[in-house]
Amino acid sequence: MEKNTQPAAEQKGNDVSRRDVLKIGAAVLGAAGLTQFISLNSVRVKGKEVSGGDGRKWGMLIDLNKCIGCHYCTYACQAVNNLADDMLYNIVAPAATQSGVEYFLSRPCLQCEDAPCVHVCPVEATYHRPDGIVAMNYDRCIGCRYCQIACPYGARVFNWKEPIEQSPKAPEFGTQEVPNRPRGVVEKCHFCSHRIDAGTERGLTPGVDTEATPACVVVCPTNARVFGDVNDPESPVSKAKQEAAITLRLREELSTNPLVFYVPPTQSNGASSTTQKEDEA
Amino acid sequence: MISGIRQPTLRIGKHSIDIFPYWIGVLIIGILFGLVGAFITLRDGLHVTGLSNEIPWGLWISIDLSAIALGGSAFVFGVIVYILRIKRFEVIGRLAVLLGFLGYSTAGMVLLFDIGRPLRFWHPVVYWQPHSLLWEVTMCVVLYLSVLLAELLPVILEHPIFSTHPWLTRFRLLGNAMSALRKFSHWLHKMGPVLAIAGLTLSLLHQASLGATYSVLAGRGLWFNQSAPVQFVFSAMSGGTALLFVAGLFVFRVMRPGAVSDSTFYDVARLSGGITLLLSYLRVWDWAVTNYYSFDSEVFLQTQLLNSIAPYSLTFWLGEVLLPVIAGSILLAAKRVRNFRFLAAAAFFPIFSAVLTRWNYNFSGLIASITYDPFNTTVVLNSYTPTWVEFSVASLVISYYFLMFSLAARFLPFRSPEEHH
Repeated sequence: MEKNTQPAAEQKGNDVSRRDVLKIGAAVLGAAGLTQFISLNSVRVKGKEVSGGDGRKWGMLIDLNKCIGCHYCTYACQAVNNLADDMLYNIVAPAATQSGVEYFLSRPCLQCEDAPCVHVCPVEATYHRPDGIVAMNYDRCIGCRYCQIACPYGARVFNWKEPIEQSPKAPEFGTQEVPNRPRGVVEKCHFCSHRIDAGTERGLTPGVDTEATPACVVVCPTNARVFGDVNDPESPVSKAKQEAAITLRLREELSTNPLVFYVPPTQSNGASSTTQKEDEA
Repeated sequence: MISGIRQPTLRIGKHSIDIFPYWIGVLIIGILFGLVGAFITLRDGLHVTGLSNEIPWGLWISIDLSAIALGGSAFVFGVIVYILRIKRFEVIGRLAVLLGFLGYSTAGMVLLFDIGRPLRFWHPVVYWQPHSLLWEVTMCVVLYLSVLLAELLPVILEHPIFSTHPWLTRFRLLGNAMSALRKFSHWLHKMGPVLAIAGLTLSLLHQASLGATYSVLAGRGLWFNQSAPVQFVFSAMSGGTALLFVAGLFVFRVMRPGAVSDSTFYDVARLSGGITLLLSYLRVWDWAVTNYYSFDSEVFLQTQLLNSIAPYSLTFWLGEVLLPVIAGSILLAAKRVRNFRFLAAAAFFPIFSAVLTRWNYNFSGLIASITYDPFNTTVVLNSYTPTWVEFSVASLVISYYFLMFSLAARFLPFRSPEEHH
């Protein structure tokens, strides 16, 4: 009995007993184990949705000379993702260069390799898939909207309201292919990752086979959008990049390294004259 | 009622009226009005607010940031009382803990409405993303709120009701529970230095990170700035200490005469004034660095556009530089001024400036935002007007803050810890 009470007396003093050292050690190990458990957990959650990891990286090239501003990419995206008119993942807007060349600037999510939204998300609800796509875990998102503020391209939309029954662009431009997202989470363009995942499972090649290619690329009537594996020199996107004299990326100075490349406009394609018609349509 | 607390009264002719019940009544109306907005927000979602995809953070975030900033005196006085061991600040330090707790709990409450999925408020604690500043802020705030609660418990348990209420002897279980709680609180008080160090660390981390939350975003020129974290820390210290000075005058000088000496008040005022002047000095250099030495056409464009819709530069020079410098100088010279009404009026400006800084910071980058046009750098002006629901929820949390403060001011003894053990 006496021996048992001795260490307690020691602890009250300033002496550090062996038991104290063990306790601190256990606490540190416990904390380390906890973080490890949590990080393993999050990897497992991600693992479910991840496809690829085979070195392929999906990218897109948008030829601004070919875009006629028909907004079909936006409409197809709305139909496939069941988006209301104020929840656009993909936008098309008239613009002009400094020398006055008018063109249409269209913008999906640029799937930045160094994405500000991924860095800032407090719960890792948005993350990079191994194939480069910046994806969302809608079950984890708390709706703080920090990613929206961080995105330099305004590519993210928040679900201010409940999801709609049917997109105004369905069934004309396609049918819903992904489940609805709940009110209160942020969502974004995901390069139609559901098509890529289902397509690659069946042995199809995204960018070549239409079923495995994002809806906006498939619907484009002028082939202004090209899709594929940027790591494969034979993919449509790599070939188009090689053919183009110059490609640029949006806000390159921020070093976000987007996977969407643009061919700058060299001649006017009548942006201002067609805009109004398209808006009416 | 505790003896020695003098209630502020309103004198009308010969009658003097205790205004406390009326004041509480006003606050309860504020809370009831707020509950309506809170209910509508939770039922209908955030589209009832004036927020948009262009301006996703608005009035509520500004309140959240301001409430956290104005709780800044808690960590300053934690250090002064427990680490520097300056005894005469002990009593006013307890008020600082209360203000800290109220600030942080108000912030937590308003955030609960601001996030899209309120029931997932606990996600950051479980799903770690240590790269995210907002994750770090959330973890620090959660931990710091626990620290503040641990520091506040002994202050609340001082109230005689917890030691002399007849129920404590009538119901033995209650009495035992209460004495165990008192022992725990006594132990917490002994742990003061540990809590103070934890509080200092957590506070410096998240007050700075709140500035960094904005300033790491390279995509928004006006925010992208290296001194924001330092400015946020100093402005929390300046505004928080100024608020402690004003609240302290009310709680101690008016209601508990003799509890805190005048010279201690002068020192609090001087501390607040000194930090305010230091902050203003930093601000001017920061302005020079971003607008003069490294001229950035985007920042210039943003500032110009902001001035076209609001007096953006004027509010900066007037509200964040000139007035705080004057007020800071007056507070720093408190021992010469020796006029508490005058000093309290001066202390209003650092408080106002801390709130204004956060308001400006939040809205400047969002309202004038840079587009991604590859050939022309353009800045678009977005607009945001809070809806009545937002004001309603604001009324809820602000009324909560004042209600808790008023109850504490009236009922808590705020005695020196030496007096009873």
